[in-house]
Parts: sequence; C-alpha cells; structure tokens
Amino acid sequence: MLAIQIKPEEEVLAKIFGKKVFIFECIGCKEVYFPREDVEKFIKELKEEITGKAVLDYLCNREFAREYLRAYSSQIKRAETVLVFSCGVGVQVISSLSEDKAVLTACDTLYLNGFQGLRVQDFNCNQCGECYLNYTGGICPITNCSKGLLNGPCGGAKDGKCEINSEADCAWILIYKRLKKLGKLDILKKILPARDYHKIIS
Amino acid sequence: MLETNLVDYTKFRLKPEEEIREIFRGVNRIFIFWCGKCYKKFEEEAQEEYDELLKILGEDSKKIVGQLKIDFLCNNFLSKKKISSLDLSGCDSVGVISCGLGVQFVAQVLEEKAVHTLADSVPQSGNAASEVGYHGISLEKEKCAGCSQCYLNLTGGICPVINCAKGLLNGPCGGAKDGGCEVNPDLDCAWEKIYERVKKQGKGLTLESIQIRDYSKPLLKLKAELSSENQTLREESFYGGLYPLEKKEETEDKKIEDFPEPKVVTIFLSQHTGRKARPLVKPGDKVKMGEKIGEAQGYISTSIHSSISGKVISLEERPHPAAQAKDLAIIIENDGKNQLDLSIQPRKDFENLAKEDLLKIIREKGIVGLGGAMFPTYVKLSSPKPVDTLIVNGCECEPYLSCDNRIMIEHPEEIFTGIRIASKILGAKRVFIGVEDNKPEALASLKDSLDRPSSFEIVSLKTKYPQGAEKMLVKKITNREIPEKGLPLDVGVVVLNVGTVLAIYEAVVEGLPLIQRVVTISGENLSKGGNYLVKIGTPFKDIIQYCFSGEEKELLERYELKMGGPMMGVFQVNWDSALIKGTTGLTFLKKYPIEASPERDCIRCGRCVEVCPVELYPLYYAFYGKRKEWEKAKEYKVENCIECGCCEFICSSKISLLSLIKKEKQYASNSNKT
Repeated sequence: MLAIQIKPEEEVLAKIFGKKVFIFECIGCKEVYFPREDVEKFIKELKEEITGKAVLDYLCNREFAREYLRAYSSQIKRAETVLVFSCGVGVQVISSLSEDKAVLTACDTLYLNGFQGLRVQDFNCNQCGECYLNYTGGICPITNCSKGLLNGPCGGAKDGKCEINSEADCAWILIYKRLKKLGKLDILKKILPARDYHKIIS
Repeated sequence: MLETNLVDYTKFRLKPEEEIREIFRGVNRIFIFWCGKCYKKFEEEAQEEYDELLKILGEDSKKIVGQLKIDFLCNNFLSKKKISSLDLSGCDSVGVISCGLGVQFVAQVLEEKAVHTLADSVPQSGNAASEVGYHGISLEKEKCAGCSQCYLNLTGGICPVINCAKGLLNGPCGGAKDGGCEVNPDLDCAWEKIYERVKKQGKGLTLESIQIRDYSKPLLKLKAELSSENQTLREESFYGGLYPLEKKEETEDKKIEDFPEPKVVTIFLSQHTGRKARPLVKPGDKVKMGEKIGEAQGYISTSIHSSISGKVISLEERPHPAAQAKDLAIIIENDGKNQLDLSIQPRKDFENLAKEDLLKIIREKGIVGLGGAMFPTYVKLSSPKPVDTLIVNGCECEPYLSCDNRIMIEHPEEIFTGIRIASKILGAKRVFIGVEDNKPEALASLKDSLDRPSSFEIVSLKTKYPQGAEKMLVKKITNREIPEKGLPLDVGVVVLNVGTVLAIYEAVVEGLPLIQRVVTISGENLSKGGNYLVKIGTPFKDIIQYCFSGEEKELLERYELKMGGPMMGVFQVNWDSALIKGTTGLTFLKKYPIEASPERDCIRCGRCVEVCPVELYPLYYAFYGKRKEWEKAKEYKVENCIECGCCEFICSSKISLLSLIKKEKQYASNSNKT
C-alpha cells in the first residue's frame, strides 16, 4: 500500500560505515510496488563485503524481525553496517532492535493515496480528526484541493482545473457541483470554525 | 505463537453527540453503513460504534430504516457490489460510520443521495507536520509518513518527521524539558533520542547539514501512475489474485526426459476422487506393465494399473502424499523387463468409435484429471447436463511448475487429437484452449499445429494467479458465472487440463493406461531439476536422490517438500511417499530460518479479502478456526473456497489459513449430509 524508490547510489554509499555489510531485503507487502530488480542491481554493485543477506516479507512485524535478527546474529555481528531495503517502518524496526549497529536504508518511501485503508485508490484520507465531508458533499477538500483550502476555491482554477496541477480537477468546483445536485447549496453559506490542528496531537 | 504487543490503531470514532443529533434533526429516513474496521487486533466481532450511536440517538433511532455492516468499506469492488444490491429508495439520506475513505467512497457510489459522516478519523501521526502516520501492515509503534526522502540514515534510525511534534529536521527546537516535548509532554523529545542513538553508534554517523524537506518530491504524477497501475493489477482479468514470483525459468526450457526406472513402486489404490479401487492382485503375483491391478468401485472411482512389470511384494499401508494419512498401496518389485500387458494395443480406427466406447476406454484406462484434483475423467465427460463448450486448461498458473508448458510445446498434435476425442464425447460446439501469456513458446507451438480453419480457439490469458482455477477460467473465456457451490457443468462448460487431454489421447489411440505422467521437479538446492516422464508409484526418495544435491538429513532440516507448487501444493510430512496420478510436481522450498512459529494474531489488515478471487472474507476462517468454532465458517460461505492459497500467501500474520479452511469445509460438508 506504499511505494518504494531506491535512493541515489552515491547518497547511500557515502554513508556506509566500514567494509562489511549485512543486508535485509524486505519483499514488502507483496502486492505493492517494490522495485526488486533495482534492489538486486544495487546489491550486485556494492563493493563492500556482504556478510549475509536475509530476504523476508513484512519486516515491519517486529517479533518476526527479531527472530530473523537472532537467526542471522553471527553474520550481523561480523558486519559493520546493516543495510535495509524496506519502507521507513521496516528500517525503524531494525534500527530499534539493534541500537548499537549502524543501520542504513537505501530506500525512500512514497505515500500512495488510500494506503491507510485497505487498498490503493483514488480517495485519500489525511486523518485530520474532524471530518468535513458532511459540508462538502462527500468530497474531501483537505486531500483533493492542492492547497487544502476549507473555505472555498482560491480563484486560480482554469476551466475547472487546478492552477497547481493542471491534471487535477478543482476540488471546490466538484464540491459545488455535487452540492447543487443534492440541492444543498445553502450548506456553503454556513461559517465553520477554523481547522483545529491541535486535534492531531490530542 | 510469537508474543505480540500491538498498538491500538483505531482509525475512527463517532462524532461528538451534539453533532450527531444535529445531523439527525435534518433527516427523516436514514440508512446506516458501518465499517467493520481494519488494522485492529481481531478479538471479537465488535459493533460498539453502532450500539453507541443508538444510545446517543434514543428516540431518534427510529429514523434508521436499515443498517449494514461492511468489512473493509473502502474496498471499492466488493463494497460497491453490496451497496448497489440494496434498495435505498425508501430513505432520504445515508449515514456512514467509517474513516474518511469509506465515506468518500459511499458518497461517490450514491451520488444522488445525501451522505452524512457520523465519525471522525483518529489522527495517527501525532504530529502536525505530517498527517499520515501508520501505513501498510504495521501495527507496531513505528510510523512512517511516506515523505519520499528518507532521513533515517542521518538520524540513527529515528524519524524526525514523525517523532518530533514540530517535524523539525535540523535539530531540537530548544523547548524540551527533562527530555519531554513542549507541545505534548507525553512524548520524548525526538532530537534528544536521535542524539543518544547516534552517540551510541559511534563515529560512523555524524549529524551534518540536512537538506530542507522538499514537499514537491512525492510527485503527483508518479503517485497517480503507481496508484492506477496497482489498481489495474488488482482487478485485471478477475478480482483478487496475486502475482507471485514465477520461478519457472529453472525448468521451463528443460525438455521432458524419461526418469530412471524405479526398483520398487508403491501404487496407491486411491489415486482419484471417490471410492478406493479394489485390489486385484496378491503378494507373489507376477504383473505386467499396464496390467490392471485395482478395480474401480462404484460410479465415482477408477481403475489402477501397474506401471512396471515384476512381482507383487506386499499390500500395505503407506503415507499417502495427498491425504497425508496412511493408505493402502500395492508394492511391486521391478524385474526391469518392462513387459507390456496384452491389453495395450494401439488403435487406428479410433475415429469411428462411438461415444459410449470412447467413454468405456477412458474409464477402463484409469484416466483422472491431471491438474491435481484427480477427478475421474469419464464422470466429467458423461455429463448429465447439456454441454456446449469445452475449455482445455493450459494456464499452469502455479509458480515453479512447467510440465503443462512442456507438454504443449512437445505434444501439440497429440493434444489436438485428445481434444477431438473429448469434444466428440461431449458434443461440444466450441473448444477453447486457455494459456497464460507467460508461455509464448507453448502458444506458438499450439498455433503452428492447429489446422485451419479450425473450430478450436487458442486464448492467450493474462498471467495472474489463480487464472487456471475453473471459476476464473470459465468466467474469463465464456463470460459465464459459475453459481455458488456449482460446477462448470451448471453453465454448460467442461474444463480439462492439457495433461488429461494427452492422457485421453494415449489411452484411446495408443491403448496405454495412466501409468506415467510428466512431472516438474523444481525448487531450491536442485542439481537436476526439470521435467520428467515418471512412472506412477516411483518413490519420492528416488526422485529426491536423483534431482537434489545434499544429504537427506540436511535437506530434511532446512527444506520442506511440497507435492505440487508452492501455492496449492501439499506439504509432505513424511518423505516415504510415492508419486500418484495427481502429482504435478515436487517442489523444494527453504524453511523459515527461525525456530519459533511465525504465526501471530490476525490484525484485520484485510489483505486476504483483497486477494481472494472468489470474493470471500478469509479472516473470519482464521478467527473462528482458532477458536475451533468450525460451524461459524459456513456463515461466511467457506464451501465456496477453491483453496488457491492466496490468503495464506499474503497473510501478514502468517496464519496457516488453508489448513483451517480445509477443516471448516469438511465440517460444512458433513453438516450438509446430516
């Protein structure tokens, strides 16, 4: 439900500490975009000695990762750097489990719409904590408007398209059309309190 | 089971009471959809949100004209089906209890209706700098914002984007008191933790200047592309399914070779669906190759033949590779002469044979479905219902296996003759041969040998597991939907595996009973993997010795053996078994390197629902299976399961779903009988 990109090689190579590397390769959530070929190429071109490699799925499963660390402990001990190919969660899990080793990642994690739910999809939810969908005909202005505006369009739309991303529709025009269809345009006249960002940490 | 300590990941909660009452003041007749929740430890079937709503509403709850719980409301394929099947004309509005994804989805499906959300999402990041926190499978405390420019290499593996309340990238703000954050005193200062961690790791990591976060980096276009690619893959050809690593390259170019003669064969009397065959020989008897040694009993059963010539040593119980229990087998010692039985006579006039005679031959020669199910072929061909279409299944969607591929490349003529015989028996008007597009050589070979004009149609199908399952295949090729608990026969279709068609040819034209078959030997640690023509009854140990390198003891320790491929194959506890008619392959797979069982609690991630090609909710089978409430699974249509193994493959908690499902299916079919 997320996508992985390989970081520029120089960036990672410059960070590798010592000459011996142990590799964790997460094959991910299986059906998710994961550039396995790029990973293989990256590993092949490594000049450092590889003391061992563990290929597993769901590296984010902490207990599972811990068992793997145990199973490969002697090989990891010999290495000076642990290089992880996974999303940000996997890297953090490994680095929190082996705090005194240098743990590096070679990947950037890209967030795809809808990934906090079940599947990648056109919808997105930013989990803002105060759902506005009742006022906007079920179209979310936070995720659909490039500027995340809550009080109507910015005025920059051209032919119904967003001024920031000409491929995207202006969310507020869509909202207007939907509300008109439902005969509820008067909702737009209602004044709402400003977004309460405090809800995110409470 | 592994100990787990999962975080509470509640994604939504009901809106404040006043707000809900306000919404209900404006409606008269409302229908409620509520999501069964995801990413939550699956402990009980809670409906707390709905109950809470009723409590808040009091009198107003009379305005609710109906309600439906939908698990994984954001699954736009399954939920759309459920929502559109409802008649909502009687209500003026719709209420949704779910996270923002579910609400937006319902609002899109029911564009004409006023859709109210009755819940607020619960923020997960705990940090105003990035909205999203958890993602993917994780129910652990680590979060990732997917910022697409990972800083973890500079910060000792602690993410400042998510852990610092201000999302600072260049060090602490200076507001921390005693290591606690000034924004949220419950939190530790992320930058202090980063400092400690980096210090611990020694000189390898130094804090250097970090580039400013580039908010334009998650390119909208790239995201849109990846997202639409992912969605197309999910629904291509059929809903659900998987793209496991094919691993066919090891064997797909290896020509079919004869496997060395076994010294002793173990021929099971049950090598088919239905009743066990009755033995016709006793210890000490001499048998010839192709001689009938087991007689079919009853309608659904078939005959068994000796695959070698020699002497019967004994009749005894041996571990059966499919049933995984001891079963009666005839043990025969090979005399190495391969003397043919007199019943084996090639027949040139087969084109003139009547339908009944052909069926009789197929029954007599012990032909069963060679795709693995081993259903007696003559039963399938003597259909009580009208059949107009024959589909020959050359998909071979199971990873590692390539025996059907080789058969299509090397024996196209024989396959076509076999098809002509089968379609004559069935009276089929249309014949399709379905092959996945990862087998271009097989497709070309079939096309080359096809006489034109021909009534046979070769269909190239998208490679996706389980494309070769009957339900998927029939739907894709004929666009007919097999009813629940039904068979292809119910929609006028018969599906035969290419191997079966070849066996029909051999039985009718060459007079050869089913005493050998093509098997793919594949997997890890192979020295001589490939496709072999192996005699039925050849001990697995012979094959292991011949094809795999390494000592048996070491192999037993580090590898597991599956009869069939990795997805649907039967795990072999005991290697003292022997080849049966349904053995499509033997696959050696590496065991997990860990000692503990990797299994843990179901976290309702819903990935099993995403991949189930028959649109079931396998998480309930795990849930009730674990509690041994076998009968409950029936309510979730466990009988429709085709045991393709997609759910087990994808399960993030590594639950052995298939074994639970098999038990539940057994229970369901027993309860049907009584």
